[in-house]
Amino acid sequence: MLEFDSATKRFGPLTALDACTFTARPGRLTGFVGPNGAGKTTAMRAVFGLVELDSGSVLWKGAPIGPEVRARFGYMPEERGLYPRMRVRDQLVHLGRLCGGTTATVVRSVDGWLDRLGLADRAQDRLDTLSHGNQQRVQLIAALVDAPDLLVLDEPLAGLDPLAIAAMSDLLEELAAGGATVLFSSHQLDLVEDICEDVVIIHAGRVVRAGDLADLRARATQRFVRVRYLGAAPDWSGLRSVEVTEETDGEALLRVDQDVDLGALIDAVRRRADLVSFVYQPPTLSELFRSAVAA
Amino acid sequence: MTGPGQAWLVAVRELRERGRSRVFLFSVLLMLVGTAGAIVLPALLDTGPAPRDVGLTGAAPAGLVPALRAQGEAVGTTIRVHRYDTPADGEAAVRDGDADVLVVDARELEWPKRADEQLQALVTGAIQLVTVRERAAEAGIDPDRILTVLAPPPVSNVELGQAAGRSPGDENAAFVMTLVLFGAISTFGAMVLSGVVEEKSSRTVEVLLARMPARSLLAGKIVGIGLLGLAQVVALGLVALAAGALVDSVDIPAVRPAVVAWAVVWFVLGYALYATVYGALGALATRTEDASSVAGPVTIVLVLGFMAAFATFGSIDTTWARLVSWIPVTAPLAMPFRVAMGAATWWDLAIAVVLTLASIAGLVVLGGRIYTRAILHTGASLTLRDAWREVRPGSR
Repeated sequence: MLEFDSATKRFGPLTALDACTFTARPGRLTGFVGPNGAGKTTAMRAVFGLVELDSGSVLWKGAPIGPEVRARFGYMPEERGLYPRMRVRDQLVHLGRLCGGTTATVVRSVDGWLDRLGLADRAQDRLDTLSHGNQQRVQLIAALVDAPDLLVLDEPLAGLDPLAIAAMSDLLEELAAGGATVLFSSHQLDLVEDICEDVVIIHAGRVVRAGDLADLRARATQRFVRVRYLGAAPDWSGLRSVEVTEETDGEALLRVDQDVDLGALIDAVRRRADLVSFVYQPPTLSELFRSAVAA
Repeated sequence: MTGPGQAWLVAVRELRERGRSRVFLFSVLLMLVGTAGAIVLPALLDTGPAPRDVGLTGAAPAGLVPALRAQGEAVGTTIRVHRYDTPADGEAAVRDGDADVLVVDARELEWPKRADEQLQALVTGAIQLVTVRERAAEAGIDPDRILTVLAPPPVSNVELGQAAGRSPGDENAAFVMTLVLFGAISTFGAMVLSGVVEEKSSRTVEVLLARMPARSLLAGKIVGIGLLGLAQVVALGLVALAAGALVDSVDIPAVRPAVVAWAVVWFVLGYALYATVYGALGALATRTEDASSVAGPVTIVLVLGFMAAFATFGSIDTTWARLVSWIPVTAPLAMPFRVAMGAATWWDLAIAVVLTLASIAGLVVLGGRIYTRAILHTGASLTLRDAWREVRPGSR
C-alpha cells in the first residue's frame, strides 16, 4: 500500500502539495484526477524522491521509501524521456538492469513486453525513429520491465488513439488484477470511472475527495436525474430543490437532493413533459469532480 | 542493487553506446594512424640533405670537380656540377634557381642573394684543396703527402636544444604528447558535459533518478567515458612506443615507456578533475545549446593550462615552471611535459599528484552537490549560485 501522509511541498510562494493524505491499495486501480496544476505530477514525483517534501511523508507498506525499494517501482513520468539515440531493446534492458534484475530475467521480460505491445520488429531500432505512439509504448515497458509492485503512471493515456487507450486500460486492469498497486493520473474522467475502483481528486494542492469510487458516489449528498422527453423543452420553473445542470434537445439533467421525494418529482416532470425515460443516479465522477473543484 | 552496482551499469552503457559509435571509432583509428605515421614517416622519408647545384665558368683548376664532390660527400651532401660557357649564362642559371652558386674563375662566388655559408665553406674548401695541391706540385712536394698533412680531423654536430640535457627530439615528443593529453582531456570531458545535458534535456534523467541516486548516475557516466578515454590514450601510447621501436628513431628519445606511463596517469588525473566539473556544470544547462556557454569558463581554464604548460618550454628549470606543474588545474598538462623533458624529480611528482588528488576529492563533493540539485531543475538554465543556494542540509 502506498500512503501519502500530510505530504506538503512549496515552491517559493506556491503550495504545490498541501497536507495531502490518501492511499493507493494493492490489487486496485487508483485514478488520480484534478485540474491542470493541481499537484498530481508533484505528488507522483515525490514517490520517487524527485521532489523533496517540506513536511509529511510518502510511505510504502508503512515504511519510508529507501533507494532499494524505490528501484523496484515502475514510473512513467509526464514528460516522457528516454535516450533518443539508443536502441529500443538495449535501452529497456539497461533500465531493467538498473532496477536490479539479472540480465537473463530482464531480457526475457523486455522481449515479452516488446512482443505483447507489437514492437518486437522495432527492438533493434533507435528510439527516435519510432512514432510518438510507439515511443509511448516503449516508455510504458520501461516502467513495467521489472514487474514492479507499485506502478505510478503520469498521464499514461495522453496522446493515444482510441484503440491504444482501450489497450492501455485493459493492461492497467490486468496489472492491478495481478496484485500490483497502480496509481495513474488522467483527465479522461469517464474512463477513470469505468476502470478505477479508487479515485483521488486533488485541487490546488489539496486532496478534496479520496477513496472507493462507489462509496464516494453513494456518500454524495446530491443525486442526478436524467430525463428524456418528446416534444418541446418544458418549463422547469416551479420545481423546488431541483437544479437543471444540462439541457439538450429532448434530454435534461437535473440535480436533486439525496432525500428528494421521487414519486412527487416524477409527477411534476410528467405534468411538464411527455416523459420517455427517467433515470435516478448518484453523481458520476465528472459530477463529483466538478462539485469538488468548484467548492 | 543500488549505488555502486548501478553506477557500474551506467559506466558499461556509456562504454558500449559510445564505443559503438562509428564516428568515435573512426576518430580513434585516425589518431592511431596519425601518431604512427608521425613517428615512422619522417624516418622513412629522411633521405638526407637536398643535393646542391654548383655552376662553374671560366678557368677552373683541374681536379676541382672531384674535389667539390669529395667535400660534399664528407658532409653528406650530393654536389651536382654544371658548366657554363660564359659568366652571363651562369648568372642566368643562378637567377633562375638552376644553380645555387656560380664559381667564376675559381676566384669569385656569385649567389642569388646572400651567401649560403655551408655551401660557401664547402666550395671554398674544395678550391683551397685544389690550389694547395697545384702549388705543392709546383714546389716539388708530393701532393698526396701535403693533403694528408692538411686533412682536417672529423668534427661532428650536436643539437643542444633550448634546455640542458634535452635534445630538440625530446622537446618535439613532449610537445606532441602534451597536445594529445590536452585533446584527450578536453574531448572526453566534453563528452561528459554533452552526456549530462542530453540526459537532462531529453528528460531521461527523470526515469533514471526514479531508480538510482544522482551521484551514482554522475559517477557511472564519468567512469564509463573515462575508461573509453583511457583505452584511447593507452592505445596511442602503445602505438607511439611500438612505432618508435620499429624505426629505432634517435630523433624521439622522449618516447620512453616511463614517459608514456606518466602521460597515462596524468590523463586519468586530469580527466577526473575536469570531467567532474563538466558534469556538474552540464546539469545547470537545460538545453543542448546552453551546454557550451555553461561550461565555457572551464574550457578557458583548460586552454590556459595548456598554454601555461607550453610556456614552460625553454624555462623548464625555473620556479614558476615548477609551480605550474604542481597546480592542479595546470599539472595534468604541465607535469607530463616536465616528465618528458626529464626535469621532474620524484618529489615534484609526489606534490603534484597529492595536490591534484585532493582537488579531485573536493570537486567530487562540490560537483556532486551541484549536480544533484540542478539535474532535476527544469525551465531556464540555472546559475551556479542558484544551484548552490538550493542546497540545504540533509538533502539527498
